[in-house]
Amino acid sequence: MQLFHFTGDSVKLLVMGALFNDARHGSLQTVEEKIARHAQDGSAPTREVVVQFNADVADGMPWKFVPTQREVRVKPGESALAFYTAENRSSTPITGVSTYNVTPMKAAVYFNKIQCFCFEEQRLLPGEQIDMPVFFYIDPEFETDPRMDGVNNLILSYTFFKVGEE
Amino acid sequence: MLAGGAFGGNRGLRPVPPEKGVFPLDHTHECDLEKKEYINCLKSSGYQSERCRGFSKLYLECRIQRNLMAKQDLSEFGFGKEYGMGAS
Repeated sequence: MQLFHFTGDSVKLLVMGALFNDARHGSLQTVEEKIARHAQDGSAPTREVVVQFNADVADGMPWKFVPTQREVRVKPGESALAFYTAENRSSTPITGVSTYNVTPMKAAVYFNKIQCFCFEEQRLLPGEQIDMPVFFYIDPEFETDPRMDGVNNLILSYTFFKVGEE
Repeated sequence: MLAGGAFGGNRGLRPVPPEKGVFPLDHTHECDLEKKEYINCLKSSGYQSERCRGFSKLYLECRIQRNLMAKQDLSEFGFGKEYGMGAS
């Protein structure tokens, strides 16, 4: 997995935005297009999906890492915000990076992250506690996929790994 | 449960980067209040996202104002004017 290092948060925002937009160019509608289209269509009642949150750290990673809320109830096509909280409990600065998965796996394709703390190294000073937001939505097409019948719960799990210690 | 899937192993979907990129961390806690208000709303609203959208919008606006999120019209993410004050 390649990681990108940039100086300056505003540069990061611009470059990451460009990189990720390029990665999705042409093959998918943007999140804004999907949300707008769903808002126009959407007079039909939509079912509620419960998204639950899991957090883990790898062995040797001295952070406390937990979901800030145990669940969020969302409707497909609606953007939603959730948080994790991380705290570096060691006496040295630690850099970590996270991976995630979504279960059940067959539903993962419908879980879209608009923006999150993931995919980039994050450095916490000793004792530092930080909020880690995830801004996401469930693709509206989830509702019409017969394979998703009976799928009313998704679990989003993140695991943090240590990649550096000073 | 370690994520062979998350590392692109055969059994799982490859991880997909977030559409709008990565949130810089709020190291100086500038949007803590907005976050707390959102979380408190969730706790008292049965964790229903729809009922707390106004607070979500305030949190994201806080980030935008402090350059912790790229400036974007939040109505494009479904946060219409009915979700409270603040310029979009």
